[in-house]
Amino acid sequence: MYLLYSLRLAIQSLWREKWINVLSVLTIAAGLFMIALTFFGVYNIDLATKKLPERFSVMLYLNDGLQEQEIDGIVTALKKNSSIEMVRFISKNKAMEELRTVLKNADYVLEGIDENPLPASIEVKLKQALVSVSGVKNLASDFRKIKGIEEVEYGEQFLHSIYSIKTGANTISLLLIVIMSAGVIFVCYSTVKIVFYRRKDEIETFKLLGATRGFIRAPFVIEGGILGVGGGVTAMAGALVFNYFLLHKLAATMPVFKIIVFPSEIFVSLPLVGFMLGILGTLIALGRIRFY
Amino acid sequence: MIHFNDVSKFYENNAALRNVTFSIEKGEMAFVTGPSGSGKSTLLKIIYFSEKPDQGSVNIAGWELSKLKESSIPFLRRNIGVVFQDFRLLDNRNVFDNVAMTLRIRGIDEEEVKDRVMDALKIVNLRHKSDSFPRMLSGGEQQRIVIARAIVGEPTILLADEPTGNLDADTAAGIARMFKDINAKGTTVFVATHNKELYRNTGRRILRLDSGNLAGEELS
Ligand SMILES: Nc1ncnc2c1ncn2[C@@H]1O[C@H](COP(=O)(O)OP(=O)(O)OP(=O)(O)O)[C@@H](O)[C@H]1O
Ligand SMILES: [Mg+2]
Repeated sequence: MYLLYSLRLAIQSLWREKWINVLSVLTIAAGLFMIALTFFGVYNIDLATKKLPERFSVMLYLNDGLQEQEIDGIVTALKKNSSIEMVRFISKNKAMEELRTVLKNADYVLEGIDENPLPASIEVKLKQALVSVSGVKNLASDFRKIKGIEEVEYGEQFLHSIYSIKTGANTISLLLIVIMSAGVIFVCYSTVKIVFYRRKDEIETFKLLGATRGFIRAPFVIEGGILGVGGGVTAMAGALVFNYFLLHKLAATMPVFKIIVFPSEIFVSLPLVGFMLGILGTLIALGRIRFY
Repeated sequence: MIHFNDVSKFYENNAALRNVTFSIEKGEMAFVTGPSGSGKSTLLKIIYFSEKPDQGSVNIAGWELSKLKESSIPFLRRNIGVVFQDFRLLDNRNVFDNVAMTLRIRGIDEEEVKDRVMDALKIVNLRHKSDSFPRMLSGGEQQRIVIARAIVGEPTILLADEPTGNLDADTAAGIARMFKDINAKGTTVFVATHNKELYRNTGRRILRLDSGNLAGEELS
């Protein structure tokens, strides 16, 4: 095989055009670093929003004057529902008690109220996986149909805004990642184009001596791959430094930052992503090799 | 080995070759001659697949050109050694690497490359120049390097385009002898030249081109 010789040609080319190559590695690194940051952003938004629904519950307010049996019936029916994590019955008296503890010293506002105006209710906690806007909406309308339930209340507004933040962030980051990837591919594309153009005569001679398409492409593919990996490794170093200084140092002084996580998968995959984008750019730059 | 049937080649609207028909048999040594611009190089380029004829059929070593897949061209070229009129030496590589290119392209291992390149350089009497760069060599030395590169792959056909371009008579005679020896080993040799010294009294066939037309064929 000629691959060993192709490697030699690739290294020669990398050395001969070292300034172009260094510049393109740095540009690729910048692009990949931005991709890593975007992933980092999405990852943390996702993590933060995942934790929120743990505290998310639906309140079912019951009709006044329901018999104990009827209430028990509703509670057992709810407990059988596979999308429900926990069911808690809150009687009229309990509701009043809770209100009093909330009001504490301000409970004089309740003075003079003879009859307990609060309805009995059932608090339902949903299983995390099902807490999506449409999932909750469907469940709420199901609950409304249960006999004895007066009203269903849940943080519709709240859920909506979380999900729109999430989808917004996802869309923007997807867009950013696509643009940055295209940028990295383009950098590899133009670097290889320049190097290929400078060696045009040599390549023409190779062809006339009987070089195959593979032989002509191989050094460039190796070169493009090395540029991509080089950019990836540089970006990885940048990400590690970013992680260390911004997150560890910052978290030490401001504990709020402790919840931010830099997933190690991003570091590790940077050279690989660089490699693939580099080779893709190279193949596009080389195009079809003609012999006529 | 080389068969042209009614072959024409046009550049823009000018015919570089017009209705050319001839054959060169296996193991033959033949010449094509004619004034500058008569189409000699074009003829050779068609044989080594560098130019496509616009008309007519060409058969090289049993391969019908019109039925050829582009991807098989490299493998056919490996059977054809070419001494290019413009040399095509790589000036950023030394003599050894220039000659070795023919073999490295084929993935031959370095040990064998070394032996064969040195053998080829010995044939052209330039072993001692293996580390020199082309620009450090005289025209005649460069010419012989190109010949070494053409024969190192042991081709079945050797094509030479004006191989004595600007050489003195003695050097030219040496090159003529070299071709004779190569042909004696069974290689088909086809030489384009307007140097009469190269084919005088060889008893070989001479094709005469004139403005792209095959004007005649004779024995020297
Ligand atoms: N790439 C090209 N584009 C346009 N015209 C060309 C091209 N190559 C050759 N020609 C023309 O075709 C004709 C034949 O050229 P060719 O190179 O075959 O001549 P030649 O016999 O080899 O001449 P010389 O003895 O000077 O090498 C010439 O008129 C030349 O100008
Ligand atoms: Mg010519």
